[in-house]
Amino acid sequence: MSLDIDSHIRHSTRHIGRSVPRREDRGPLTGKGRYVADIRLPGMLEVVFVRSIEAHARIVSIDTSEALAVEGVQAVFTAADLADVKTFPDYIPYIGPVKQRPLATDTVRYVGAPYAAVVATDRYIAEDAAALVAAGTSYEPLPTVADLDQALAPDAPKLFDDWESNCSFDVDPHKPEVDQAFEQADHTFTETYVSQRQTGLPMETRGVVAEMADGTLTVWSSTQSPHMVRTTVALMLGMPEPQVRVIHPTIGGGFGTKTHIYPEDVVVPWIARRLGAPARWIEDRMENLVASAHARDQRHTVEVAYDDDGTVRGVRCASTLDMGSGEIFMPGTAPVFVTNACITGGYDFENMETRTIGVVTNKTPAGAYRGFGIPEGAFVMERVIDRVARLTGTDRVDLRRRMLLKPGQTPYVMHGGGRLDSGSHTESFERALEMASPAVERTRARYADDPDVRVGVGYANYVEPTSPSYHLTTGHWGGGDAATVRVDPDGSVRVAAGLSAIGQGAETTAAQLAADMLGVSPDDVTVVLGDTERAPYGLGSWGSRGAMMLTGSVLLASERLLDKARWIAAHMLEAAEADVVLEDGAFHVAGSSQPSVGWAEVGTAAWVRTVDLPDGMEAGLETSGFYHPETLEHQLDDTGKINAAASWSNGTHVGVVSVRVSTGEVRIEDYVVVHDCGTVINPALVEGQVHGGVAQGIAGAMYEHFQYDPDTANPRFASFMDYLVPTCAEVPHMEVGHFESPAPEQPLGVKGCGEGGTVGPPAVVAGAVSDALSEWDVDLTECPVTPVAVRAAIRAAAARDATGGTP
Amino acid sequence: MKPAPFDYCRPSTVAEALEALGSSESSRVLAGGQSLIPAMNFRLTDVSVLVDINRVEGLDAVACDPEGVTVGAAATQTRVLDDDGVAGVVGGLRAALLHVGHLQIRNRGTVCGSLAHADPAAELPALAVASDAVISVSGPGGERRVDAADFFVGPFWTSLEDGELITGVRFPAPPAGSVTTVDEISRRAGDFAVAGLVARVDAADGAVRSARLVGFGLGGVPTRLRTAEAAISGWAADHPSDALTEAVMADTSDAFDDIHATAWYRREAVAALTVRAARGALARREAA
Repeated sequence: MSLDIDSHIRHSTRHIGRSVPRREDRGPLTGKGRYVADIRLPGMLEVVFVRSIEAHARIVSIDTSEALAVEGVQAVFTAADLADVKTFPDYIPYIGPVKQRPLATDTVRYVGAPYAAVVATDRYIAEDAAALVAAGTSYEPLPTVADLDQALAPDAPKLFDDWESNCSFDVDPHKPEVDQAFEQADHTFTETYVSQRQTGLPMETRGVVAEMADGTLTVWSSTQSPHMVRTTVALMLGMPEPQVRVIHPTIGGGFGTKTHIYPEDVVVPWIARRLGAPARWIEDRMENLVASAHARDQRHTVEVAYDDDGTVRGVRCASTLDMGSGEIFMPGTAPVFVTNACITGGYDFENMETRTIGVVTNKTPAGAYRGFGIPEGAFVMERVIDRVARLTGTDRVDLRRRMLLKPGQTPYVMHGGGRLDSGSHTESFERALEMASPAVERTRARYADDPDVRVGVGYANYVEPTSPSYHLTTGHWGGGDAATVRVDPDGSVRVAAGLSAIGQGAETTAAQLAADMLGVSPDDVTVVLGDTERAPYGLGSWGSRGAMMLTGSVLLASERLLDKARWIAAHMLEAAEADVVLEDGAFHVAGSSQPSVGWAEVGTAAWVRTVDLPDGMEAGLETSGFYHPETLEHQLDDTGKINAAASWSNGTHVGVVSVRVSTGEVRIEDYVVVHDCGTVINPALVEGQVHGGVAQGIAGAMYEHFQYDPDTANPRFASFMDYLVPTCAEVPHMEVGHFESPAPEQPLGVKGCGEGGTVGPPAVVAGAVSDALSEWDVDLTECPVTPVAVRAAIRAAAARDATGGTP
Repeated sequence: MKPAPFDYCRPSTVAEALEALGSSESSRVLAGGQSLIPAMNFRLTDVSVLVDINRVEGLDAVACDPEGVTVGAAATQTRVLDDDGVAGVVGGLRAALLHVGHLQIRNRGTVCGSLAHADPAAELPALAVASDAVISVSGPGGERRVDAADFFVGPFWTSLEDGELITGVRFPAPPAGSVTTVDEISRRAGDFAVAGLVARVDAADGAVRSARLVGFGLGGVPTRLRTAEAAISGWAADHPSDALTEAVMADTSDAFDDIHATAWYRREAVAALTVRAARGALARREAA
């Protein structure tokens, strides 16, 4: 396809590339956003889920009689009542089947697993009754596994009786050339790196409202993928898809958490159908922390072969994902594959061998979170490079320069098959170094007189696969989205797409594009997203796919519409079609002073005054397009490789930190991001994505950590007192620079940018703190980097050095 | 996250409040509610009667005189911070309050509520102990005054009896020439301290004469660092910190582990804060 954007645009005022103001903000910012929790239907009942307080147990009995006796309680349902609901499908053949039921049947495998649903006239009553159901539940506790070592022990208690072990999958291809690299290298070392358990934590928790009326089941869900919810709910409830309508109203963030289809998405509609009354469930924050997908939680055992001059000859990495109980749909298995696919980032070496393992434990199921495995891999790679630099006395910036892909080296096929179609790997690094240089100087000067403070710098270079295949994640869906464009009789434009608006600016983006394609103002474009009845099928918003999918599908549909509109206009102008051009919202004969025909006249002819249409033309002015990136692959090739992303963005992060030696306190003094997501549609939206992503990355680098009791697998968190989310006080100033290396295979050159911000901070902070504390040879291998972790590293170093005292 | 059913009453006098508190064993006082209401919503606290003292006449007063500051039970932390006289009389009170939560929390939270809640990681109980504050209590048996040193019994546990109500607290002005600092390590701005220190240091001629040192976030109650108080006497900025650190270690053997920090970290951190406080006080005396 053509990369010449201008050939698509017939408008003197261009909107693509400009920071067109976000149209989706007025509601939420003025308190008028309509979230799922704002939907009130007459006679609506409240649902509260009763959740396991045991990490692993058989449920012996559930006495619901006391709960049912509470005034206002309408029903209490347990697994037995849901016998007519199908089991969540196990679509992926190579991972252990979990046969997830919407409510736990006889076994619960994590604290928070839903096993009963109380329905009452209000939430207070429902919670009172839920407490009685909880008190009436008799468990037979089973031995627990709280971490990977416990789960993989030879005599470990098993979560699933019909599995051979707690290992869900173990993909271990072998590359003889890596063996050769290890044999030839001057040195090797082995290290273990850990990325801790976190969650996406949208400000709006999940929620479902459902109503069965006039033969249609309408489900309002705070989901990132309404069409997939429809397909799955219809399947599990045994209803034809046209009788299920899924709407997501205003969404207060998703961050991957809401890509999954959860038990509540199925049970609340089932209750509405069963009771013939609207039903509502709004997740509270206590539930959110145990019942929405967790993420990250990977351990990496890494062997590195390197030469005296710092050359990395080969790396072997065994990446093990702690899946929690694994009872989640879509399975949470894909991020660890992404980690391994992206682990080399923008660095040029192919002697990389990865092993990919998934293990179940008695913890909340792991799933998707913005970044989706990329930050974990970047953390490993950057820590490895710093270690090699230190071991060989090589400058860590120069070593990165040597390893990075050079201009002209793309397209470049990575070790796992990912095809870096374009990019600015070296250029981004150099620009980021330049931008960070004054901050480094400033920070060193600021603390020059404080003997307790050390200053350090950290680096991360990464690639961000965008618009990926969903087949590897779901075993069912592929990748690609539809859009429909319509011009109504009055000439106004309506765009409907299968993508969802979850706060990222999708509506603004769609309007910008349609405006430029059809030569109208964005204000004249109505955008419809997030309603399965009003918008065509699409997989929703995740995987940094919005920009590519939305522009790709809207472009296809717009061009088809334009062809027909030009034909109609030519007929009205009594001219040859080839002579008619669209300029600034009107059709006219090129070079002629004849009056033009506007969109209203064309729209009126198409729908109303059909007598004005050319002979034999089908009436109407509505076209569709289904965009599927040409190069996107869904299946592994014969060598086990795959290019599972439609394009690849890239970026560099550089951070400057100060570390207080006596207390281990770390402060990020300055932060620089240079980002390349191809053609930028809206610079303000891209910067917003980067800022928010970096804030979440800092959460992972320094704060958020779900901890579990090793003996009982009980969560050691219940609220934001225990799960620390950075606030504006913890997020530093950041500077963002841009490169634009257009995606060669996307018609507008657009790539995604939703996740890159999260990728850098863990590597940057751990690298910068290790740099600051290099006099003690501190080399951090896990996050979060807390004051305790910093002090522990200094103490360990002091203990290693017999001649040194505790600093 | 909805509370279990409870009764609510809003008395207008202390006598009415005491009567309501006495009406049930699980009655609780509502002042700012910044800890109590979440605990009720989590169903961690069983409350039968909630006695809202915010309309009790006179309880929201803040009174300053040259000898000290008296804070009523319903006076919010913001009200104390906004009082023009407080900082000049009991500077430590302002310093402590600036570490308490965020603005929104201080707008509701009360000084006396923080004392009654007795969170071992909170700043105000430690300040009360460090400054020899006296807590006024009313109850079925009449009124009594309790020294802060005797008030805190354990984590979230005070010497308040069933049916008793704090009516106010008196912070005496510190000795002239002393410098009070409140310093802490917290994971984020506004969090409860992982470890903290209230230090009232009396220094002259480049050396510490005496100091009152009270740690928080270390044990079940504010921790008086008596060994360190002895060791710090005569300490000057160019002295090594090892002996001071060892003294703090001796004072803090009760420190605990939790998900935010280990016991040894807390002890090391308070030792570092002690050195920092002494250095800071000496520098301020020198500048003065």
